[in-house]
Amino acid sequence: MQLETLLQQAEHAIKSTTSIQDLEQCRVEYLGKKGSLTEIIKTIGQLPPDERKLAGQNINLAKENIEQWIKEKSILLKNNQLKQQLEKETIDITLPGRDTGCGSIHPVTQSIEDLQRIFEQMGFISLEGPEIEDDEHNFTRLNTPPFHPARAMQDTFYFPNGLLLRTQTSAVQIRAMKYMQPPLRMISIGRVYRRDFDLTHTPMFHQIEVLVIDEDATLATLKHLLTQVLQAFFAREVTIQFRPSYFPFTEPSLEVDIGCIACNGRGTVCRVCKQTGFVEVLGCGMVHPHVLKMADVDTKRYRGFAVGAGIDRLTMLKYGILDLRSLFENDVRFLKQF
Amino acid sequence: MHYSESWLREWVNPDLTLKEFSKLLTKIGLEVEGYENHILDIAIPPNRGDCLSMQGIAREIAAVLHIPLKKHIIPSHPAAIEDVLPIHVRSHKQAPCYIGRIIRNINRHAVTPAWLQERLEACGLNCIHPIVDIVNYVMLELGQPMHAFDLNSIHREIQVRLSKSGEVIILLDGSQKTLDNQTTVIADATKLLAIAGVMGGADSGVTSQTTDIVLESAYFPPADIARARQQYRLQSESATRFERGVDPTIQQVAIERVTTLIVEIAQGEPGPLINRTHKTAITRKKQVTLTQKHLEKVTGICFKNKDVDSIFKSLHFEYQSMRHGWRVTIPPYRFDLSLPEDLIEEIIRFYGLDQLPVQVLKGVLTVIPNTASIGTMSRATGDWHILRQLLSDQGYSEIISYSFVEKTLQLALNPNQTSFELSNPMTAEMSVMRTNLWPGLIQSLLYNLNRQQNHICLFEIGTVFFNEDRSSLAEHPRLAGLIAGSCFEEQWGLQTRDVDFYDIKGHVEALLRHYNVLDQCSFIAETHAALHPGQAAGIYYLNQLIGKVGALHPALLLDLKVTDPVFVFELDLKLLQAIPIKLSAISSFPTIRRDLAILIRETVPTKEIQDTIQLAAGDLLKSVFVFDVYQGTGVPVGQKSIAFALILQHGARTLVDAEVASTMERTVALLEKTFGATLRNG
Repeated sequence: MQLETLLQQAEHAIKSTTSIQDLEQCRVEYLGKKGSLTEIIKTIGQLPPDERKLAGQNINLAKENIEQWIKEKSILLKNNQLKQQLEKETIDITLPGRDTGCGSIHPVTQSIEDLQRIFEQMGFISLEGPEIEDDEHNFTRLNTPPFHPARAMQDTFYFPNGLLLRTQTSAVQIRAMKYMQPPLRMISIGRVYRRDFDLTHTPMFHQIEVLVIDEDATLATLKHLLTQVLQAFFAREVTIQFRPSYFPFTEPSLEVDIGCIACNGRGTVCRVCKQTGFVEVLGCGMVHPHVLKMADVDTKRYRGFAVGAGIDRLTMLKYGILDLRSLFENDVRFLKQF
Repeated sequence: MHYSESWLREWVNPDLTLKEFSKLLTKIGLEVEGYENHILDIAIPPNRGDCLSMQGIAREIAAVLHIPLKKHIIPSHPAAIEDVLPIHVRSHKQAPCYIGRIIRNINRHAVTPAWLQERLEACGLNCIHPIVDIVNYVMLELGQPMHAFDLNSIHREIQVRLSKSGEVIILLDGSQKTLDNQTTVIADATKLLAIAGVMGGADSGVTSQTTDIVLESAYFPPADIARARQQYRLQSESATRFERGVDPTIQQVAIERVTTLIVEIAQGEPGPLINRTHKTAITRKKQVTLTQKHLEKVTGICFKNKDVDSIFKSLHFEYQSMRHGWRVTIPPYRFDLSLPEDLIEEIIRFYGLDQLPVQVLKGVLTVIPNTASIGTMSRATGDWHILRQLLSDQGYSEIISYSFVEKTLQLALNPNQTSFELSNPMTAEMSVMRTNLWPGLIQSLLYNLNRQQNHICLFEIGTVFFNEDRSSLAEHPRLAGLIAGSCFEEQWGLQTRDVDFYDIKGHVEALLRHYNVLDQCSFIAETHAALHPGQAAGIYYLNQLIGKVGALHPALLLDLKVTDPVFVFELDLKLLQAIPIKLSAISSFPTIRRDLAILIRETVPTKEIQDTIQLAAGDLLKSVFVFDVYQGTGVPVGQKSIAFALILQHGARTLVDAEVASTMERTVALLEKTFGATLRNG
């Protein structure tokens, strides 16, 4: 067969293949051991010596051509094949992924962990005391002896043996002063109980108690600390306002309001601050000298300040939760948002 | 307490709106909770008995505005009749001041005038009887509680004395009280007339028939009244004031004021005052010394003398300036002031808290040794965060439930533990302290089932309360979980199924793995009243019970009206936390896996088979796990096919085939000998 014709045939055959297998067959047909081109090569020896070189060159050229065509076709076919595969494998990525379930950590716990982290960053130790307390720690040593009118401020749960459910985490500061020497910086977070159940009260809630006994514990340093902590907790600038108040275990006693988180203190129709622009967040004060003396703190050298805050309330403010009770209903649809 | 605006303005009348009044009062610590309809609702702190009157609040307003209080001249009333009654005060300690007066021929048909009614009602008091109303009116005005007895009910005399044990009195509120021997009472020659300062007796009060009365205006010490009020569980306007402290110098003024009003409104002829005041028994005027230095140490700033002077002046405090401070004479009505700190509070209250500086607390950098407990306190651990995260990642939502629960539910869930019962629970559903965390989880389960949730996965970390031994109370932190319903939310891509025991067991194992103690822990079949007898296990670390896991008992579910199985676990975190982490060396030599499928009686627990394999294979066995359990075609009835993978490894060299083979042979032989197990072919 003439080389020319062969090349034409080969080019046509290669270009019209539609699969890798066909292409491979073409390769065998033209370049294989028994292929057409191989057959022609075998005829070179029969040519006169002076033509052999040219014929050889032509054959080589033809071979290179065929190889090139095969290579190109191969790439084309592979690309097509890949394209087909990709098309075949295309899925609906809008179908939802497999949901093996994801739970949640309670918002009050998250606040507790936030506060713990904030205070530990400032060198406070976090302590826990018992929830079933005695009268001594919950009241008497907090300057609220029997029959003190302030006892009526908190309706207390009692047990038949005279023990009670602590009404305030302040009980832990008494223990802290007993077992640790000043200077002292501690917090205590936990459950407290009061016999009260309505829109804004649950019989159990969470408090944080902060106690600093140090030489420079003053109202001025207390103000600074609270500002820092509240801004860190709410992760924003917070306007803070102090009011005089009364707690038996602090003197002077203060109450702290912050500019309403929900309406940015604007006080326009707001269910959180009821149009006042401010919301009460905590109570604090200088530890009452009676409390320090009962705890054997050297009052000549040291003074103390203490802070008590409702964590549930802080949590409500932070997330704009309006009903306190929703924190303890444990509706998973509510919980899973945190 | 409610305060009438017009009444206050009789005492102090600055050019301010009610809203401005209320802002002013709140700023000085008398929090106004409402100011509508010309009524101020003020939350008076328990130490400020002096503010429980119009005069008291007016005094504060005058002080903060630096304006004078309007003078109210109360004339003493001349006696129209001579009648007196013997009054015997047995102990002046109980009643340092006691003043009485008879008024006769009161007009029975007199009515309380509208203006007086309005004011009483504005302040939240009901109108009862003109005499009572007048007495209440003066109490609201001046702060002095008083009492009017019907003269005809009094036999011969009035005694002020301590009660005798067992004496009985029926009070104005209808209640009958049997007294102890420490209560100050008002009595006549034969019977009790009143619990002093708390409440009058039912038989000696004024009625619509009363024409002759005895007025009582006295000072009783706060502690006695507080004790009596709490002892007998009574509540009265009078007791509220006496226990917070009533000005011991206003009794005479007050009784004169009442007399004037009675004569005006109900006529009547007053007798002379019968004054049994014991001058020396009245507390001497208190003096408190405050130094500049003290003031600075508490507030953080150095006050100007003139600022402090001006505050003392506006509060009508008598004071002497000294070289380094002030000596202040406390007015008799200020029961809340007895320490320098109390004066500091007065100063900053009027100086303005927002004026105080802000300073950075300085301190020494220290690390508190990481001990688990300090005295009776324990150190809060961050460890639980990881547990929470772990469970949350597995689909659990954290709940917070009340620490007090319903008694019967608690008993059903933990019958072996007596729970602490509250004396005064909120409701029966919150009457005992929980001894485990399951009641709260179950309540939450029911709550969510009622809200069409069918994939429930909850946990709680909290304290449980129980008797450790006979006498001592223990509070332990526990972690508990509950799962019910489908394993996953219904979806296209995952074949969901109902949860079973092995789901929750897997979660517990993951927690134990976190502490790296799973290998040392075992799950031992145990019965528990609340759990399904065939699906319950105690979780043991070595020989110590650290928790429980199982399916809730079907009978319990029936009671709770829950149709699907529910699985629960509980771990004692205090015990779990105490377990030290144990590490073992990692061998760098290759491991060899050999699989072993056996046919064995279906009742043989996997744990026993594994223990036997461990025993036979010895130290070379690094780990063993079950990779298949099968019953059905090809397995004889009563038997199961169970397949184990044995991972063998030598700590110091590469294993040789022969020892692997002999290990396997030994294992098969021991399983056969122990359980009659046979190798499964194919």
